[in-house]
Amino acid sequence: MKKTMAILLVLALMLPFAGALAAEQAVPMTIATWTSNENQLALLQSFVDGFAAHKGIKIDAKFESIPFAEYNTKLLLELQSSNPPDLYWVLETSAPAFIASGNLAKLDEALKEWEPEDFAPASLALWQKDGSTYAVPFSTSPFVLLYNVTMFKDAGVKTPKELIAENNWTWESFREIAKEIKEKTGKWAFQTVDGEGYTARVLHNLLPIIRAMGGNLWTADGQVSADSDVSVAAIKLFHDMVYADQSVVPPGDQSDFYTGGAAMTVGQISRVSKLADVTWEWDMATLPGNAPVIGQAALGANANGKNVELATQLLAYMTNKDSVAAMAGIWPPARKSVLESEAFLSSNPAITPEQMKDAVAASIETGQVLPSHEMYPQIEVESRILYDKLWNAGADVAAVMQEVAALYRNYIK
Amino acid sequence: MKHSLTARRNAAMEAMAGYAFILPQVLGFILIVLVPLINVFVFSLHNRNMLFGTNIFIGLDNYARLLTDGLFVQSLKNTLVFSLLLVPINVIAALLMALYLGEAGFGSRYIRAIIFLPVVTSGVAWAIVWKYLLQGGTAGPVNWFLAQLGIAGPNWLNEKGWAMLSVVFNRVLKNLGTNVLIFYGAVMNMPGEVVEAARIDGAHGFSMFRWIKAPLLMPTILMVTIVTVIGSMRVFDTIKLMTDGGPEGSTMVMVYYVYHKAFRTFETGYAAAIATVLFAIVLTLTIAQWVLRKRVTHYEQ
Repeated sequence: MKKTMAILLVLALMLPFAGALAAEQAVPMTIATWTSNENQLALLQSFVDGFAAHKGIKIDAKFESIPFAEYNTKLLLELQSSNPPDLYWVLETSAPAFIASGNLAKLDEALKEWEPEDFAPASLALWQKDGSTYAVPFSTSPFVLLYNVTMFKDAGVKTPKELIAENNWTWESFREIAKEIKEKTGKWAFQTVDGEGYTARVLHNLLPIIRAMGGNLWTADGQVSADSDVSVAAIKLFHDMVYADQSVVPPGDQSDFYTGGAAMTVGQISRVSKLADVTWEWDMATLPGNAPVIGQAALGANANGKNVELATQLLAYMTNKDSVAAMAGIWPPARKSVLESEAFLSSNPAITPEQMKDAVAASIETGQVLPSHEMYPQIEVESRILYDKLWNAGADVAAVMQEVAALYRNYIK
Repeated sequence: MKHSLTARRNAAMEAMAGYAFILPQVLGFILIVLVPLINVFVFSLHNRNMLFGTNIFIGLDNYARLLTDGLFVQSLKNTLVFSLLLVPINVIAALLMALYLGEAGFGSRYIRAIIFLPVVTSGVAWAIVWKYLLQGGTAGPVNWFLAQLGIAGPNWLNEKGWAMLSVVFNRVLKNLGTNVLIFYGAVMNMPGEVVEAARIDGAHGFSMFRWIKAPLLMPTILMVTIVTVIGSMRVFDTIKLMTDGGPEGSTMVMVYYVYHKAFRTFETGYAAAIATVLFAIVLTLTIAQWVLRKRVTHYEQ
């Protein structure tokens, strides 16, 4: 009896291996993401299936969904484990550090198969070093202006769209209409990105103004210009809107565009889902001066994985024209051919093809990512302390920006 | 002779059984507390970076770096300010509340429940609600209320000084209930005959507290103080959610800085050094209070 039980037990234990044998050498591929959305994972799975068919092999793909808040931490622990992911999503802010760390495999060879020149060159800049590409952005999402048309009508103020038609869509004219709205309705005219424009998203808030006026904070070649006259003038313009005009939702106030608390805000197209049930009319436009910030997320291959070559080929397939077109409704594409396609313009049911073309696609073409650096997380923590000094009525913008620039120069050379 | 041998064997068996019973707990302590604790110290002697996979022994270099790190010094100061504000307010308020509840018959059950309610509330929800209440201008309900009284409230979480006070007040309100409950237990367990005798001798009001109740409660006061100090040194969620260390780094406490170093810049070794310093501070304070406890406590069981 005991013997029979033992044999049965051994057989039961062997069952999984038998299954693996039957599957005929399916290659395991682990893909780490920060999404756990079933539709999105199914879409990614369909790319894996497509690639397997293309190569005539079997792939046993496993998706690991790591919550966004702890993504980097857990990912790095997994990368050091004995069974690390083969492909993984990379956060924009971690790009330079990840490339420098040697955790990302070079993709140049694998990308050749699928027209890499189709990617807008600016969209790859962050993910390249010394002429090699280390990750491919699957999402290139610009920050656009969202506005409450009803509030504009009530105030009798020209809308951004009308100003664009007049060829007068600058931060100066933006300031004017904001002031008018505040004066005529008593309501806030502008809310910064998710209300975080004074804190976590201070760069997202200020950079479009600075860049539109021809300034910058720092550039890839190590030039710090955060304290240049143009940069200071741009920040002063915003500062005046907050403290002199009082047209912007100020720090520490949670009035929200999406609940009708402000006439305009800045956001990515994913935010449009928040507008599904609003009773007022809304529209979107490019940011004044059309120098928007673009948010990116990329797919990279583990340089120390078990099957690096196949992983890079899979990555290239997942970011080829067909795959990018299939993802375009969720994650705006960086491939020019897809960006210009009819399919992309009608890919998101909540956004009209016209909005997609005039606001989203136009912003992707002129937008840039935030300036980056290997030590960015450290720079961010330290500079936030200095940027905080801007947010009171009597702040000396030029002096604060000199401090910020001095801090940047400590790290960026 | 034979009898004592059996007794000894029995005793040994009993001891074995005893050890067997505490074994899971001790193993858990070693694996989950002691090993990581030692590891943190070992990490702090290394240049350890999770992203780059580096792990090089550098002796005390991390500690030397602490001295020149302005942000660390600031976080150390902030932590001390936070604790110096929070601990006295918390302990005194809790003690007064417990003494009041000990006297009051009617309604004390409900008051206890109300005071304890924040303790069982999720810390995250609590912080988010308070962030909403403490909005600047007249947008927040707190400032709206002050405006009705003719007072222009500050921008609580966005002005230096006020931000620290807001966070401290918030933590006190959130955790007061635990201390009140402990003190209340101690107050109810005070030997009634001693208090009664003192009353007959003419003690009341403050003299009753100063000479009778306070000495009786001293062991509890010290214990509560130690726990509150340790808790205040470890504050994290309130800071992260309400001020994110700002404005101008005025609420950047040590634990939050450890978090930044360990999980934002991945300098695990350096973060471990900061954590070790924090551990040393808490340990020193705890030992100091323990020594003090023997001095100021007039009776011990």
